[in-house]
Amino acid sequence: MNFLYFDPGLGAMIVQALVAAAAGILLFSKNVMYKVKSILGLTKDDPEEDSIDIEDETDTHDRS
Amino acid sequence: MTDPNLHAHDASFRDPSGYVFVEEGIVKRRILPIYFPQYKALKEQRIYDTLIRKELLIPHQETEVSEAEILLTPEQIPYITYPYEWGFEQYKQAALLTLKLQKYLLSKGFILKDASAYNITFHKGRAVFIDTLSFDFYEENTPWRAYKQFITHFLGPLILTKYHGPEMLKMMQTHIDGIPVSLIASLLPGKTKLNPTLYTNIHLLAKMESKHQEDYEAKTSIAKLSKKAQDNMLKGLFQFIQKLALKKDTEWGNYYEKTNYDAKAFEAKKKLVQQWVTQLKPDRLIDMGGNDGTFARTVRAKVAHVMVTDIDTNAVDQNMRQMQKNNETNMLPWVCDVLQPAPGIGFHNTERSSMIARLQAYQPDVVMALALIHHITLSGNVPFEKSAAFFASFSNTLLIEFPKRTDSWVTSLLVRKREFKGHFDHYNQSQFEAAYERFFECVEKQPIAGTERVLYHFKRKDSVKPKA
Repeated sequence: MNFLYFDPGLGAMIVQALVAAAAGILLFSKNVMYKVKSILGLTKDDPEEDSIDIEDETDTHDRS
Repeated sequence: MTDPNLHAHDASFRDPSGYVFVEEGIVKRRILPIYFPQYKALKEQRIYDTLIRKELLIPHQETEVSEAEILLTPEQIPYITYPYEWGFEQYKQAALLTLKLQKYLLSKGFILKDASAYNITFHKGRAVFIDTLSFDFYEENTPWRAYKQFITHFLGPLILTKYHGPEMLKMMQTHIDGIPVSLIASLLPGKTKLNPTLYTNIHLLAKMESKHQEDYEAKTSIAKLSKKAQDNMLKGLFQFIQKLALKKDTEWGNYYEKTNYDAKAFEAKKKLVQQWVTQLKPDRLIDMGGNDGTFARTVRAKVAHVMVTDIDTNAVDQNMRQMQKNNETNMLPWVCDVLQPAPGIGFHNTERSSMIARLQAYQPDVVMALALIHHITLSGNVPFEKSAAFFASFSNTLLIEFPKRTDSWVTSLLVRKREFKGHFDHYNQSQFEAAYERFFECVEKQPIAGTERVLYHFKRKDSVKPKA
């Protein structure tokens, strides 16, 4: 069940396919660049950089 | 039947799923039956658990369950800051948290049904999501319906700030529903059209929105978007925002390096502040005009909750970075221009409360105003009586530093008045004391060794306490 209590904007719903396509191309080309650089040994990892991914809980035994 | 929203908090009326209310000073959340399916699914699939354990969502306890309602008591947050009081770094962190949550929820078959910046505040040193009812079921292949809100609440203000400076973040104060897409697009330089992320998310969005705004009958069929495509969209936005940086340098950032007193005088001031705060044993302390938190840090370990405000967003950002680096979870920095603190905004002027109202509810035990009064009085032309009344409206104890006319900062501020310099003859210690002693009792005053400054310890008179 959805309750749309604010207007999402029709244009905004349609444009997302184009936003996603552009992002897809960008991400893909960044990936290619990264691979090329890592072959050439030019990559440096930034351990402080936050990732978008939230890791799932693997340990469920420590709940008390 | 009584109106279920009767006792709702003034900011909690937009979402029919439930609302927040305050009972005996405790903030609680009432969930209405319309949201029970979502709530139960989120609970059973341990979504709430995971997000709370990751410190991304405010923890809550289920305190009452019946057929008519479920009551949650969330962990209480001492002070809520609003988007227009955040520094650029804080704003970025709030935006990234929103994207992170949407991406995670999507993988679990849920979505964020709104992407309001007010769903986030800062607590225990980090951004935390506070609207527990903002989650909904995902319907296969539907676009993110909070997408436009994300742009108007997050990407828009951030990108405008990149090009026009931190003043742009204050636009959220006049646009409670976010900055209109067409306005964002018109304020951005033309070259942003060459950037694929900005072209699609801002310029194209603005175009599409204006094209479809007259579709009153919702004739156009709703667009589709695969989950994979939405993932890409979210990842693209995340990486773009993560890389955003401000160009503008701070006016105050290196204040302590260019300030007029030497290391010895600095130590003397620090010692005095530490000594007085230690005696007062406050639970809640606010340092107004506290720059990057240098002085607040000298007493941080002795106080349960410390807030530091400054007019300069860069100082606030600097403070935030230090806090997160040192894991100082009891500090909360935010942006405040003492000469125009955040007013009450939104419907009925009560949706988001004013800074004064929030500070009165916060009830700080100690208010520090170091190196601030000469700016209020000489830059802001605020008479001592008025600034004393301002501080008395929320301070039980006020530690305030008074730089004398012979102080080099004061001299320089007075010189800048040129032919009006004579209008500021009232800027002296005796007039300052006379005005402040109408509202406060002077408990102690001490000259700061090696400077032309005096530190005062004032206690508010009972007769001027604001009515509860």
